Amino acid sequence: MITQIKKRDGRVVDFDLDKITEAIFQAAKALGGSDRSTAKRLAEQAVDYLEEQGVRTPGVEQIQDAVEHTLIENGHARTAKEFILYRARRTRVREMNTKLMHIYEELTFRDAKDNDVKRENANIDGDTAMGTMLKYGSEGAKQFCEMFVLKPEHSHAHQDGDIHIHDLDFFTLTTTCCQIDLTKLFSGGFSTGHGFLREPNSIQSYSALACIAIQSNQNDQHGGQSVPAFDHDMARGVAKSYRTIYRNNMAKALDFAGVENAEALSRGTLERIEAENGLWPALDENNGYHEREAEILAPAVGEEVYEKAKRFARAYTDREVDRATYQAMEAMVHNLNTMHSRAGAQVPFSSLNYGTDTTPEGRMVTRNMLLATEAGLGNGETAIFPIHIFKVKEGVNYNPGDPNYDLFKLAMKVSAERLFPNFSFLDAPYNLKYYKPGRFETEATYMGCRTRVIGNVYDPSREIVTGRGNLSFTSINLPRLAIKANRNIDFFFEQLDHEMDLVIDQLNDRFRVQAGKKVKNYPFLMGQGVWIDSDKLGPEDTVGEVLKHGTLTMGFIGLAECLTALTGKHHGESEAAQNLGLEIVGTMRKRVDDESRKTGMNYTLIATPAEGLSGRFVRLDRKKFGEIPGVTDKEYYTNSFHIPVRYEISAFDKIRLEAPYHALTNAGHISYIELDGDPVKNLDAFEAVVRYMKECGIGYGSINHPVDRDPVCGYTGIINDVCPRCGRREGEGVPKEKLEKLGLYRHLNSQSCGYCGNPAEEADRNRLPNTVKMISADK
Amino acid sequence: MERNENEILIGEGVGFERIRRITGYLVGTLDRFNNAKRAEVEDRVKHSLSMGVEDLKKGA
Repeated sequence: MITQIKKRDGRVVDFDLDKITEAIFQAAKALGGSDRSTAKRLAEQAVDYLEEQGVRTPGVEQIQDAVEHTLIENGHARTAKEFILYRARRTRVREMNTKLMHIYEELTFRDAKDNDVKRENANIDGDTAMGTMLKYGSEGAKQFCEMFVLKPEHSHAHQDGDIHIHDLDFFTLTTTCCQIDLTKLFSGGFSTGHGFLREPNSIQSYSALACIAIQSNQNDQHGGQSVPAFDHDMARGVAKSYRTIYRNNMAKALDFAGVENAEALSRGTLERIEAENGLWPALDENNGYHEREAEILAPAVGEEVYEKAKRFARAYTDREVDRATYQAMEAMVHNLNTMHSRAGAQVPFSSLNYGTDTTPEGRMVTRNMLLATEAGLGNGETAIFPIHIFKVKEGVNYNPGDPNYDLFKLAMKVSAERLFPNFSFLDAPYNLKYYKPGRFETEATYMGCRTRVIGNVYDPSREIVTGRGNLSFTSINLPRLAIKANRNIDFFFEQLDHEMDLVIDQLNDRFRVQAGKKVKNYPFLMGQGVWIDSDKLGPEDTVGEVLKHGTLTMGFIGLAECLTALTGKHHGESEAAQNLGLEIVGTMRKRVDDESRKTGMNYTLIATPAEGLSGRFVRLDRKKFGEIPGVTDKEYYTNSFHIPVRYEISAFDKIRLEAPYHALTNAGHISYIELDGDPVKNLDAFEAVVRYMKECGIGYGSINHPVDRDPVCGYTGIINDVCPRCGRREGEGVPKEKLEKLGLYRHLNSQSCGYCGNPAEEADRNRLPNTVKMISADK
Repeated sequence: MERNENEILIGEGVGFERIRRITGYLVGTLDRFNNAKRAEVEDRVKHSLSMGVEDLKKGA
């Protein structure tokens, strides 16, 4: 006689026949049944069955098995099926609760240093309240999508590690990223939802509103925010500042010379020339403004007074505008590193592309942005945001004699000190084909992680970067396919085809969810017309049609391990492997191109930026297939098409071998070179590497080198074991006296900052306006 | 280092910041890297300019 049962958590409780009856009755009821007595009879029969088996204290699973058995025995096949489904549903919910609660427990009670989930994304501080709250939400959403939203085959492939659906937590919510046209956004002003911002009128306001735009858009999307032509967008702010400051300086000069109503005269003259000739006083002194000004002012105040006043106004305005621009850029860098406005736990993922605007105003923006980056943050720290991307273009800045060549040189110097800017190459054939001189929206740009959006199958007349971005991406685990192929190349490609079909189907599913969203779900991105053509929609309109300008993207990880598994060597070691690598990536590119042609949608291929993923796939594969040398024997899979990071290879060979993959990965790519030592001391080598990237057809590249900083004395550079400035080792204290002697000590109240204010760096900062002026005079 | 008992020490327990690039983004401290990326950063080797700067300038 069964009197007790064992629950799932191990507790033994009294047996209750009614619970079994109820479960059977619910299953029958779902099919239209209403006979509780039959349910009770079947429950009793199930218990009899258990007792016949000799079970004394059955577990929950055993009881359910017995019920299924009894239902089928008695010819209630449909009820049995319903009962099985009911059971499966309950199991899913229970698993979700258990797994999710376990994750929550880890998030709650363990520090980030002990919990990999909290460090999944290096730019979130998982130890803060908002950082943890962000992870609660994110982990809950992922589980929900895996269990209830994804098609079972997609969910299974994702959980099992065949593919990785990126940003799954945002699956039902939004799209990845956007390239913002600030010129368009600022024109006429915009609203962030809590008040209207008028069109800005000075470079300081331009940069402040640029930050606000990036931050507002960031909260409508889960990926990065990029400004494709930052110098061009800000140039108008410089011109406006010049106009105001020149007018004020002219008024001061005339006033000082004894001219009556100087201010009204200065303003009146400026407004008249503006109205009659459409000219402003500008950095470019040859725009015709001064001739008109002379015609009006010289007769009014006398030739000599006018000439003097003009000289004064020009000299001071040049300097003041330059200074204002520097401060605006400095403020921008500070803001983008300090406003934790992305879900309260992260600064926005911001990228600024610049370097090709050759107007004096645009050049002033680029130069000062570089100088502000070089100076670093308040204590001289290297700024980690925004990502700076210097656009390299022949005829614009690449060669001596090009109008912005000086800025290219400066960009390399700053990058050698501060790791930014990265370099993008507009002359790479696949970028050049979109390039139209003077049209900044046709200059291929890159968003932080490496995303690239320019081609447009959906609307070939709009092959531009602005207002567009990626919608979602999903990556394929290449090493696993290779391991399973067991050196059979044909079988590998067969599996790859199958996997690509699955990914494209999954991208389509996600697009259908995204397409059903309304403008009101994205108050800034769509509501303020940032996304292309969204300004033609009303708040209740769905965004499906305009989203088609975005990209649906397939990615991959671990080409190196894949090739090693297939051929025994990776593409850095063997030419045959390189050829096979190109064939694999070429096959993937062909698949997305075919899909684009077939559907008129933008399917593209990305060299996946894998952060959390790099460890996840290899962990799963090691569990499945064991430790395979050169494949699963590290803690990570090598990024996209990169040559393995621990393989000894010259910078030259690495660039040459990786470049062809840039041409194939039209949704984005990046190549890194790791330089030894302090590249500032060897700028020629730095430049040679950048130029070689360009010559090989690299689209986007950057050079890594160690940038260390001692927060105690503020030293920035390479620190091995001992800080070269204050002589301490990591974790050691420095005598206060010594810091004072070095002139580095300021406050006593902090252990990690405050005794910064490095005099050398402060002096640099004070010297800046002069430096800037010298550069201006040189051009 | 010679030091007397009453000397005030600044910065005890404070580490060095080591800025590295990870999947395109800079990160100010290795502490925030996940285990896999930390392993990757530790594995990175420098790329020699063995061809020589002059050769590189000339290109392939």
